[in-house]
Amino acid sequence: MSEHDATRATIKRLIVESLNLEGMSPESIGDDQRLFGQGLGLDSVDALELVVALEKEFQISIQSDEIDRQVFASVADLAAFVERLRAEPPSGPPHA
Amino acid sequence: MPSRAAASGRRVAVTGLGAVSSVGWGVRPLWQALRAGRTGLGPFSRFDHTRQRTHVAGQVPDAPADGARHQRRRARLSYCERFALFAADEAVEQAGLEAPLETVRTGVFFGTSTAGLLESEWFLERLWRGAGGRPGLGLMASHQLNTPGDSVARHLRSTGPVETISSACASAALAIGSAVGALRAGEVDVAIAGGADCLCAITYSGFNSLRSVDEVPCRPFRQGRGGLSLGEGAGVLVLEALEHAVGRGARVQAELLGAGSSCDANHMTAPHPQGIGAAQALQHALDDAGVPAERVGFINAHGTGTPLNDASEWAAFVRTFGERAARLPVSATKSIVGHLLGASGAIEAVATVLCLEACEAHPAAGAGPIDPAIPVDLVLDEPRRLLPDLAAVSTSLGFGGANAVLVLARYSGEAV
Amino acid sequence: MITGGGTVGSFGLGFDRLADALRTSTPSLTEVDRSAGYHRANGARLAALACAQDLGQWLPSGAGRRMSPPSRLAVAAARMALRSASLDADGAGMADTAVVLSTTLGPASFTEKLYRAILTDGPETASPFLFTECVANAPAAQVAIACGATGPNVTVVQREAGALIALGRGAREIASGRVSRALVGVVDELPPLAHAVLDRYDALARATPHGPEAARPFDRRRNGFVASEGATVLVLEEERAARERSAPPLACIRGCGGAFDPSASRVGWGTGLGPLRDGLRRVLTRVGLLPRDVCRVVSGASGSVAGDRLEARVLRAVFEGTALPPLLAPKGVTGEYGGGFLASVVLAAQGREFGATAGFGEPDPELGIVPHAGGELPAPKTVLASSLAAGGAAAWVVLGAP
Repeated sequence: MSEHDATRATIKRLIVESLNLEGMSPESIGDDQRLFGQGLGLDSVDALELVVALEKEFQISIQSDEIDRQVFASVADLAAFVERLRAEPPSGPPHA
Repeated sequence: MPSRAAASGRRVAVTGLGAVSSVGWGVRPLWQALRAGRTGLGPFSRFDHTRQRTHVAGQVPDAPADGARHQRRRARLSYCERFALFAADEAVEQAGLEAPLETVRTGVFFGTSTAGLLESEWFLERLWRGAGGRPGLGLMASHQLNTPGDSVARHLRSTGPVETISSACASAALAIGSAVGALRAGEVDVAIAGGADCLCAITYSGFNSLRSVDEVPCRPFRQGRGGLSLGEGAGVLVLEALEHAVGRGARVQAELLGAGSSCDANHMTAPHPQGIGAAQALQHALDDAGVPAERVGFINAHGTGTPLNDASEWAAFVRTFGERAARLPVSATKSIVGHLLGASGAIEAVATVLCLEACEAHPAAGAGPIDPAIPVDLVLDEPRRLLPDLAAVSTSLGFGGANAVLVLARYSGEAV
Repeated sequence: MITGGGTVGSFGLGFDRLADALRTSTPSLTEVDRSAGYHRANGARLAALACAQDLGQWLPSGAGRRMSPPSRLAVAAARMALRSASLDADGAGMADTAVVLSTTLGPASFTEKLYRAILTDGPETASPFLFTECVANAPAAQVAIACGATGPNVTVVQREAGALIALGRGAREIASGRVSRALVGVVDELPPLAHAVLDRYDALARATPHGPEAARPFDRRRNGFVASEGATVLVLEEERAARERSAPPLACIRGCGGAFDPSASRVGWGTGLGPLRDGLRRVLTRVGLLPRDVCRVVSGASGSVAGDRLEARVLRAVFEGTALPPLLAPKGVTGEYGGGFLASVVLAAQGREFGATAGFGEPDPELGIVPHAGGELPAPKTVLASSLAAGGAAAWVVLGAP
């Protein structure tokens, strides 16, 4: 599995686990499936819960103004965002 | 339309005020800060916030030296109770009443979100991290949410009904509404109504997890506002059947004309974007008070400073007041003392009475243009003169969708 | 008018299951999980637990994914209540509805989890899911969302007196004309830590050489209450609206009121007979009743040493000169917290049969109260429900046959 694929698979797993989507298999979430509104039906609190899970899993820090509909539109968009953050040099401790 | 007060014949007077907040212990320092538009929000030390996302809050300063006697006696009480007791004492004294209140038919109606949660945090931390030994059970004695209201009733030796409400940001306003109901029904002649809350890590972390907290002192209704600022303290009002107050020669500071509430029933954290629930609460409060919307001349807004709340609240103003909405002076008390959560409705009711008494809407703290998308007439820089015969509304729009609104006015002095 | 009700508790789901338990005087107690090490060695071990109940049919699948245990219990009980009142939970007409819930233990498990994560992994790992439910009014908010109830939404937190205060508040919202309907109830969850803390305050019943662990209301051997969890929600309707719907009423609410005993400590009961006796007398007077007009008393006595003593004194003082009517003390079956008491009050007002008071065997000469010993009683015309809270608050409600 390529690293891209691994990132996407991890994100799908985090979505199911952290958002209590019982009975849903991570693989059933499409890479480009809309996550909010009509798609998977997630809302703003789901997005924030997912942020906590992503930060912990990938050891990244997500700023409040980065939590928007474009970044969180789909798993593919999220994966691209996560990979971009991981590639950046760390700019200091996340929250101090 | 006839108000419920008119129907029951019992009007409600405000005869005493008490307050504790980040700008000081007492109503005097509160009014000074409100008038000056000077914020009490800033660095704080109530708990270790090194790893928090933000570092601003409205912490109550250490108790004044001359209050040392009270403080020593109250040292084993939670911070929240200490705030509540100080504010209750101040309000009762101002009302010219004296504990014990056993001989007066008195009730206590309180709101809180935290009670002794800070002290419970200490207990849990010692329980989970302590090396042997057990944390003192005394730390958990104030855990229950009824503790601050009970403490006030116990201290004043009040023997009538006691009721505590915990409905997030609407708690104290709902409690005040409950007090109005009890007074009108003749269950009590005097009601001690208010709220108290204390800063603690759970609420601070929680609001930060929702990315609702601003990194700088909150900027309600301003362009680029970034969220709320948490505060702590207490607000207490002595409410009284008007004929009872007048009968004993009490000074009536304002009249509490009515209360209304509703629920968004929409989302657990986000307010309804069109402000429908808040507008319903406003309308119900005005109906209850027998005050038409045109008679409102001042709004003490909920105004937390979150992008969503302020926009939703503006929408509610427009629904209720139509095109007048943009011309109604608005005071944003949270810019001065922060968001006192369960107690916010109480301290903001106190602020509203102070504004009515002085005929001045207090300015908000901080700089920056008002958000052009929500053109409230936010009072800035200087207090704004208010017309004396108009009514005021104070809005409390809570987490979980509970909305509560109070309607107040200067006492007209007319015979009961 | 009370036109419907739903309840979840250690006895199962629904009023009929509770009625069976009360008729047969059978509490359902289970061992609390003590594996976390919070409990002391010789303390209480049992509780009337409910969180393992299968709420599946009352919570649409997926609807509960972000709900805390209290929210799930409350929403399930609310939907059960609406069904029992032949109302459509998702239907129109629910807007004009208030929600008034009471809780004592609040969002206990989520708060514990949230704070644990904050301490262990740092505040940046605080879960928005958990925090959103870490407010006492989360269940009331969830009930409002589930039922589209946009009327007043109030969460009362006055401990053991909260249930009757909430009932009175709901009735008042309807009487004032603000709404024509109210969902009123109680919800509590009892995670192991909450149970352990109650035990450390010596509040809970414990096994002794003289008998097993049990709630013994008014009994000479009582040594604390049994804690419980669950939820009860009642549907209250404005009388005319109920009649228009041909909804068979279960009971009506005639009046309510409260008082406070300033001699109580923060976490206990006091000795303030005077204020409480006067408070109860005022309630009866306001409803136009003399003590001898009361057909039945449903007492909140729980087995608490001081609480039951105070309750006994107040009742005897108010009924002085008149024989006490048959007195039911259901907490021997339901335990304390979680709505069992409120549900029992409604069953009593309906005239359902109560068995011998569970836990009671030996009268306490100091109290002079002998609760119901079993056997059929005539259907009551007026019922007085009484609750005294730790901390000093008291609340009473008078109910009547419809």
